[in-house]
Amino acid sequence: MRLEIGNFPVKDIRFGDQTSYHQGILTINKEEALAVVYEDDHIIDADLVIARPGESVRITPVKEAIEPRCKVSGGVMFPGMTNDLVRAGQGRTHALKGMSLTVVGKHWGGFQDGVIDMSGPGAVHSYYSQLINLCLVGDTDEEFERHEQQKKNRALRWAGHRLAEYLAKCVEHLTPEEIEVYDLPPITQRSPEVMALPGVVYVMQLDSQMEEMGYNALVYGWDSNRMLPTFMHPNEVLDGAIVSGSFMPSSSKFSTYDHQNNPTIKRLYQEHGKTINFLGVIMSNLNVRLEEKTRSALFVAQIASTLGAQGAIVAEEGYGNPDADFIQCIVELEKAGVKTVGITNECTGRDGRSQPLVALDPRADAIVSTGNVSELLDLPPMDKVIGELESIARDGNSGGWAESVRPDGSIIIEDNAMFCGDMICGFSTKTVKEY
Amino acid sequence: MKKGILYINQFFGQIGGEEQADFEPVIREGLVGPATALDEALDDVTITHTIICGDNYMGSHTEEALRRISGFLQDKDFDIFFAGPAFRAGRYGIACGNVCQMVQEQFKVPVVTSMNDENPGVEMFRQKIYILKGGKSAADMRKDIKAMAQLGQKLAKGEPIGAAQDEGYFGRGERHQTVMDPPIPAADRVVDMLLKKLNNQPFQSELPIPKPDRVPIAPAVKDLSKATIAFVTSGGIVPKDNPDRIQSASATKWGRYNISQYKDRLPAGEYKTIHAGYDPAAANEDPNRIFPLDALRAYEREGKFGKLHDYYYATVGTGTTQGEAARMGREIAQHLHEGNVDAVILVST
Repeated sequence: MRLEIGNFPVKDIRFGDQTSYHQGILTINKEEALAVVYEDDHIIDADLVIARPGESVRITPVKEAIEPRCKVSGGVMFPGMTNDLVRAGQGRTHALKGMSLTVVGKHWGGFQDGVIDMSGPGAVHSYYSQLINLCLVGDTDEEFERHEQQKKNRALRWAGHRLAEYLAKCVEHLTPEEIEVYDLPPITQRSPEVMALPGVVYVMQLDSQMEEMGYNALVYGWDSNRMLPTFMHPNEVLDGAIVSGSFMPSSSKFSTYDHQNNPTIKRLYQEHGKTINFLGVIMSNLNVRLEEKTRSALFVAQIASTLGAQGAIVAEEGYGNPDADFIQCIVELEKAGVKTVGITNECTGRDGRSQPLVALDPRADAIVSTGNVSELLDLPPMDKVIGELESIARDGNSGGWAESVRPDGSIIIEDNAMFCGDMICGFSTKTVKEY
Repeated sequence: MKKGILYINQFFGQIGGEEQADFEPVIREGLVGPATALDEALDDVTITHTIICGDNYMGSHTEEALRRISGFLQDKDFDIFFAGPAFRAGRYGIACGNVCQMVQEQFKVPVVTSMNDENPGVEMFRQKIYILKGGKSAADMRKDIKAMAQLGQKLAKGEPIGAAQDEGYFGRGERHQTVMDPPIPAADRVVDMLLKKLNNQPFQSELPIPKPDRVPIAPAVKDLSKATIAFVTSGGIVPKDNPDRIQSASATKWGRYNISQYKDRLPAGEYKTIHAGYDPAAANEDPNRIFPLDALRAYEREGKFGKLHDYYYATVGTGTTQGEAARMGREIAQHLHEGNVDAVILVST
């Protein structure tokens, strides 16, 4: 399967008459863009606000981040979600790089929503501080969940995905500055040299612990709670087949942007044919019941063995209860003779002395740690807030509590609250050490 | 200029060797023994006093020694407290740990000591204080003093302290996040680790998982009616005056108490709990709720088992480190063997 991603670097974003891209400047016709947002009657208020790296800006409650892209070779973005079901991961996709379409609640946040600081000590705790954030700030009539801690955020998330595709349409017929090629032939049709290298799979454990539909990560629009682990081409992940959910403390999440740009997949591609034979992605999930955890772990080990994998990377989109899924999956892979490395974050408690994962096993002898959800972050006030600061303290943010927002605008939160802050997808330059 | 004070034993305090190990604590103005080198190694801190105490005196009169040292410090102005380095000297290491812990708690001043990894003081105190990884003997004095000065200076000035492996101290059991220097993305770290694992090269997990230390379950007692049964508790039930001074938390001591005179039950008022990890009211009202001597005597009378061992064993299980618990377990097991005990009921709270 061959995917080309044509890159259009965005150096700045402006509002103007016509949504267009010229020499690194993305101009947006705000009215037209908001019309795409308002296609859903549930959106009752929407605005677009730009936040640039280095600015004294705090964005919260952040619900989702998407890299604006469109297909130029037929096909659609986010099949099964905002568009019809077609295969993703092949042909040509155009992408607006260096920016994120960031979906923000105008007022209401929740357990799963996050914080982005564009500068100051909080900036290192979110990858999105490095990007130009075009914030879709909106409110909805989803009264059933307005005061719920757990929110599906459906109207705003879907609006974000529609808007992201709309924006990218302005580069559909332009020539990209560079083209990334992701070409991985069928696993039985690779050269003897490649076949001689150790086969490696990337196992993704998507956030899927809500029994009710509408909160979990989506695979071609399908709720990942209702699936068995399956084998996927990495290009599908990079090309919009996976959409982020609306559950799990924010710092442990993978946004849709994270899936589209997954740096672990990109690095495995770089190694393919040199040090490894990159077989593909085993798409798995995180479950509530022990039997479901076991079933998924057994399926992952079975798929990996059947493919002849000698190595695996297991990435956990979450912490706490799903640590059991993570460790069990690693143990089953190791039992099947697959050398496995895990990538996850930790929860060591306020004093740093708690057991870092809920489950431990000596067979999980290789783990990369990307952060600590319980680390306290005391962050200074910012000149401007996009969204509503009080949501951190009021709406049950997983890293906030009643006293988290101080009158001067400074905040004290757990790392949990930082938007996709532990960057388990592989962006994280953080680790956890003993002190 | 910040001020510091150093604690050393009788040997490094130039009082004398083993024959002076009962030397009682003194405080001297200025620099004695290693204090000179420490003072030289410090840029922004000056050592104002040296405290000297014999290792035996500290070991056998710990509370009194700490009380006197605390007294010496009441009117002193200091920003950092040092002890040692203690190298592999066990009594000296434990003394440094005890003094540092007392100073940290009572004076809220940062403390630094240094020990070799085989010093028993490391496991006893590493969770509570900064203990630098030191050399085996006084031949490493210069190096260890330099390390103490470097860490002590940072602490005195309130500068952030890096991770244990970067600063050279024994990890205190706290895990915190930090940005890597250089900032290598996790995607590269995870793939590099996998490549090493695939190629059977050494790699270092970022989340080391402690080896499980599981004790196999002992075979069942063949004939309970002839067996001598002993009772061991981490519930802190001790004679009311706590004769062995077992600590209420993070215990390092255990006690062994004769119960042969109690034919029915443990008398309330005579026994109590010193455990700080649970509400003691119910236990103090009736200590048999933690140590069910009443039930054990009833079974003994019924002939369910042969005999209850004449002693019971007690310590406190809250905050107690695994290392300390294992040591106490080994010591208690030795006594049980000598008492020909066939089986033990081990009870937590």
